[in-house]
Amino acid sequence: MIQTFAELLDRHEREIFAYALRLVGDRDEADDIYQDTFLAAFRGWPPPRRGQERAWLYRIATNKVIDRSRRAKRLVRLGDLRLAAPERDGVSMADLASAIKVLPEGQRAAFVLRKVQGLDYAEVASALECSEDAARQRVAEATKKVREAMR
Amino acid sequence: MNELMTDARERLVARARREGLETVGYAVIDSPLGPLWIAVGPKGVVGIHYGAEPSPQELGRIVRAYGPGVLPDSRRADPVARELDQYFAGKRRRFDVPVDLSPLTDFQRRVLSATAAIEFGDISTYAKVAARAGSAKGSRAAGQALGSNPIPIVVPCHRILASDGSLGGYAGGLDAKRRLLSMERGEAPAGGWVRRRQM
Repeated sequence: MIQTFAELLDRHEREIFAYALRLVGDRDEADDIYQDTFLAAFRGWPPPRRGQERAWLYRIATNKVIDRSRRAKRLVRLGDLRLAAPERDGVSMADLASAIKVLPEGQRAAFVLRKVQGLDYAEVASALECSEDAARQRVAEATKKVREAMR
Repeated sequence: MNELMTDARERLVARARREGLETVGYAVIDSPLGPLWIAVGPKGVVGIHYGAEPSPQELGRIVRAYGPGVLPDSRRADPVARELDQYFAGKRRRFDVPVDLSPLTDFQRRVLSATAAIEFGDISTYAKVAARAGSAKGSRAAGQALGSNPIPIVVPCHRILASDGSLGGYAGGLDAKRRLLSMERGEAPAGGWVRRRQM
């Protein structure tokens, strides 16, 4: 069981940083999101349910991304996306780039959580604060849009 | 990605420290006795652990006393790390960094305070430390209190032997106890261990 902030970082900081990078495509912004996510986690410790730190962190990070893009409507920069090479089969860097360009934040988060970060649907639902059905639907819609954009 | 992560983490820890979210900062240092995990809290050193990682029990003890805000922070650990380096190099006989014994029981605190009064190069016995701690519980209880000394080396429980002159026990292993004692008796040249190990 995770007892300390150090253990929380050791276990999850890399994937959260990578997740942020995959959602925003820019390292400085990803860094900000990573920092804000973990500071919020430290302030809000403990997580609502012990043992579910991972989905909790993804939820905080997703909200940080949405908050930021709400504050600053701007062109997406993809300069640092290569740093966030996807680890999953079946999702290419091009998929990710077009996901960032064409998807609204909610669907983009759903797509990356499921297809790149490899969360199961229960975890995606928890991270996006929606039902599992809604999570499935969002991922399906997002995947369809990405495929269409690729054509 | 690795470098990116290291920088990001450093900035995160600095922000957490400024916000008061970090209650204990730790670092791992090299020593002639292997890696040491050292942790510093708001009032001083709270733990020294033989090895690069504390046991879950040791961490649990720290979290119960200081909360979950335990983060890697060499800045906070530097003063004690420096004194330990000097000690192992034969250039320091007494530790000046404060230690925080407040989460311990009254009895443990008395035993460890009596232990801290034993000078470099001297030795004592479990029975004498028990007596000095004002305990009727005797040497066995003192031995137990010393066995759970959270801050070995700085609180020099290695200077305490059984009444028959045998080594007794030690958290870092009896070999570590033997080596600390022989260094303090001047049997190893100043800094000798470090150099000999590197060759």
